[in-house]
Amino acid sequence: MTEQDSKNMDTLVEVRKIGKRYGNIIALSDVSTTVRAGEVTCVLGDNGAGKSTFIKILAGSHAHTDGELLVDGQERHFSSPREALDAGIATVYQDLAVVPLMPVWRNFFLGSEATKGKGPLKRLDVDFMKKTTKTELAAMGIDLRDVDQPIGTLSGGERQCVAIARAVYFGARVLILDEPTAALGVKQSGVVLKYIAKARDRGLGVVFITHNPHHAHPVGDRFMLLRRGKSLGDFAKADLPMDELVSMMAGGAELEALAHELERSMGADSAVVSELKEDLK
Amino acid sequence: MSTATAADERISGSSKISKVLKRPESGAMVAAIVIFLWFALTTDAFATSGGSSTWLLGSSTIGIMAVAVALLMIGGEFDLSAGAMTGFTGLLVGILCTEYGLNIWVAILVALVLALAIGALNGFLVMKTGLPSFIVTLGTFFVLQGVNLAGTKALIGQVAIQGMAKVPYYDQPRTLFGSAFTWGENGSVYASVFWWVGVTAIATWILMRTRVGNWIFALGGAQQSARQVGVPVFKAKIGLFMTTAAAGWLVGMLTLFRTSTVQANTGVGQEFIYIICAVVGGCLLTGGYGSAIGATFGALIYGMVNQGIVYSGWDSNWLKTFLGAMLLGAVLLNEWVRRRAEQSR
Amino acid sequence: MFSLTKRNAHMKKHRILGTLGAAVLVGSVLAACSGTGKEEDSATTTTGGTKNSGLTYAVITHSGPGDAFWDRVKSGAEKAGADYGATVQYNNDPDPAKQSQLIDSAVASKVNGIVVSMANPDGLEESVKKAVAAGIPVVTINSGLDKFKDFGAITHIGQSEAIAGEAVGARLKAEGGKKAICVIQEAGNVGLEERCKAAATAFGAMENLQVDGTDDAAVQASVTSKLQADPSIDTVLALGGQYAIDAVNAVGESGSKAKVATFDLSEDVVTNIESGKISFAVDQQPYVQGFLGVTTLYLKSINGNDVGGGQPINSGPAFVTKDNAAQVAEFAAKGTR
Repeated sequence: MTEQDSKNMDTLVEVRKIGKRYGNIIALSDVSTTVRAGEVTCVLGDNGAGKSTFIKILAGSHAHTDGELLVDGQERHFSSPREALDAGIATVYQDLAVVPLMPVWRNFFLGSEATKGKGPLKRLDVDFMKKTTKTELAAMGIDLRDVDQPIGTLSGGERQCVAIARAVYFGARVLILDEPTAALGVKQSGVVLKYIAKARDRGLGVVFITHNPHHAHPVGDRFMLLRRGKSLGDFAKADLPMDELVSMMAGGAELEALAHELERSMGADSAVVSELKEDLK
Repeated sequence: MSTATAADERISGSSKISKVLKRPESGAMVAAIVIFLWFALTTDAFATSGGSSTWLLGSSTIGIMAVAVALLMIGGEFDLSAGAMTGFTGLLVGILCTEYGLNIWVAILVALVLALAIGALNGFLVMKTGLPSFIVTLGTFFVLQGVNLAGTKALIGQVAIQGMAKVPYYDQPRTLFGSAFTWGENGSVYASVFWWVGVTAIATWILMRTRVGNWIFALGGAQQSARQVGVPVFKAKIGLFMTTAAAGWLVGMLTLFRTSTVQANTGVGQEFIYIICAVVGGCLLTGGYGSAIGATFGALIYGMVNQGIVYSGWDSNWLKTFLGAMLLGAVLLNEWVRRRAEQSR
Repeated sequence: MFSLTKRNAHMKKHRILGTLGAAVLVGSVLAACSGTGKEEDSATTTTGGTKNSGLTYAVITHSGPGDAFWDRVKSGAEKAGADYGATVQYNNDPDPAKQSQLIDSAVASKVNGIVVSMANPDGLEESVKKAVAAGIPVVTINSGLDKFKDFGAITHIGQSEAIAGEAVGARLKAEGGKKAICVIQEAGNVGLEERCKAAATAFGAMENLQVDGTDDAAVQASVTSKLQADPSIDTVLALGGQYAIDAVNAVGESGSKAKVATFDLSEDVVTNIESGKISFAVDQQPYVQGFLGVTTLYLKSINGNDVGGGQPINSGPAFVTKDNAAQVAEFAAKGTR
């Protein structure tokens, strides 16, 4: 999918100059971006940049204190994750909320089990759940031999995928992914990026939170950069080539300062310093 | 594992056996069969109707508790007050009937309500304080042990219930909890054996086929994750503690109405036996994995070894040593079977 | 498992041990002792004697594990078994529900007679009656005086706890005791409660002290604290030989001047009586209970005798004081008194 004119797209979530203060500490301020159906909005930033505060506002864990949060054009103030979920915003956290020893299908339906029968005979509809798990995962491109295997036996990327597929199946229209590639190797990260693209192609709006521009750029349609609780801007893919994204992420000016600092303490001919200077050229 | 062809062909016949062996209870099942065959072949009376009925009876009360404790352990908690609870409920009914002349059914009901309340309190304390259930229920255990002794002594001046059989309508609950069918030449199958089978069946059904069962696995496996996906963690945990308390009540009634007496020290020291049986049956001490049927096999192993040693005529001073060695052997066999099953995946 | 059929031709004992090792991985404990030849004694209890009569008797008591008193009952029963060429199987469990299962097991293995101690008769009623109904002669020992007749046992061998308790209480009073504690080592034992009650009736100011009998250090500590808390206690009544020693130590530790008296004997108790640390012991002669229990069954088996004529047989009480301690000491050292 390529970047398109935003007016033609179905805007699911829009934040305008949103901010969050804890007492007199400003955790986030002046952040604006949009999430559209069939688009991936990447939120980039280093540790402590305000990414998790941003997620918590969208996911309903914390209400925002400044600005506006619009869902389907309506202004909303979430007071619980349940409300966000009801509005179709699902969050896949880093720990994925899966139970490693339980079979894949039990994990898939955990908390929202399908049942049949009535009264004391009300029971799990095992066949339905197994079949659904299999087809839903297949739709995401994961073909499991056996949905009865413990989810802990799957690779990290596959587990991410199960969590994503679960959110999609249970009616998410906006999917927030909190650093899904952070703990993964290169290959597994690639697998996850593939599933992010799949989710996008199924018409979901995806919010992809990461600190890695190399992961963000291939799948992203919009990029919103955060540093120290402030937005560095909200860009469409066309306006922001890869190298520019990388240098914005790396924070050119700050790296230069770091290089000077290291030069003073380690000496100018230190390998680290010369490499850093090389990068900055 | 992600070759995209027709699904069912990859699950072939041979892996169906390994699928059965992969179940948590399979090791205990194999161990139980081995132990049964061993005593059946080496002693004359073990496999007769009379012999079988003794170890079935012995296994039944342990088994009922082990199944309830297994559910709790799968849910990630322990209940050390489970043993003392069997004494507490039995003593309570005995005292209310023999000393205060309360209607026997009312007394049974009162005991159940109190047991459930203590179970709920256990759960509430564990969930509210965040302390390990091991500690909280150890406290309840000591409290109950003291209440059992001091309360009984204070109220009836003795340390064991006597004269229970003379209580009006004693025969009604006795039919339910303490009666027996004659079986074969000199065997009798007690009501507690049927209760045991029933409890195992219901627990298995709940664990494998209901939403609550799914939640129990999730609670022990990853409580935080369970909470995130909307599992009512608080309610489910308290329910589990109430289940072991209710099982304690059931076993208390089974003991009281079979022997017509309960002593102040009844059940003390049994709490670890229940846990051992659950572990032999494939429960993980860390929670999140196990089965109710496995706990039943664990109890069966315990009961068979306990009586089998008598039939073998081994010096009873060595009983605990034999028991320990057999249990260790059962667990090792259990592990071996499970590992073989894992490898054959 | 696989080795079972192959080894069927061998001796039964070796098959037992071999299969156990192979199938259940019991390990080296058993394997090691199979080679010594000595385990014949410990594994099947006593056969032997002059010739094997082919009779098997089960002795089923309410003893907890590792109790010195019951070890003497066991010794007596085994000695009788050895003398008569009969096999004696000794088993015990303090929980009446489990003790009754042991009785059921004995009935199922069709033993020639059962010796049982009934600390909680109600709990054993059904099993004992079932044994009698199956035509297996039953003798009760130690506890169960009130119920042996109802349950159909041939006789009861023991001492009346009430009579013994009263005798002890009276004697303590005669020795000038004013305030006493009665140390109960086993919660739920009706017989122990009865002893204390009877002793208290004859003595006057006597209260019970509940201790954990499986832990001697705890017994000693409990008695010590009690003596320190109430210095007016001048008499400690223990209900078992080893607990009397704990009480003697506690008296020393607390600096109290209390006298110690006890039910039941042990070698240490006799030594302490000789040295004056224990004023007296009342011996119900457990060895007699075990020996006579098996003897009664043996007579029933070989000659149809009903010993006791429907009345209980007293195995005690016998008082052991400084005067006769030396004589008793010899037997106590062998673990038979």
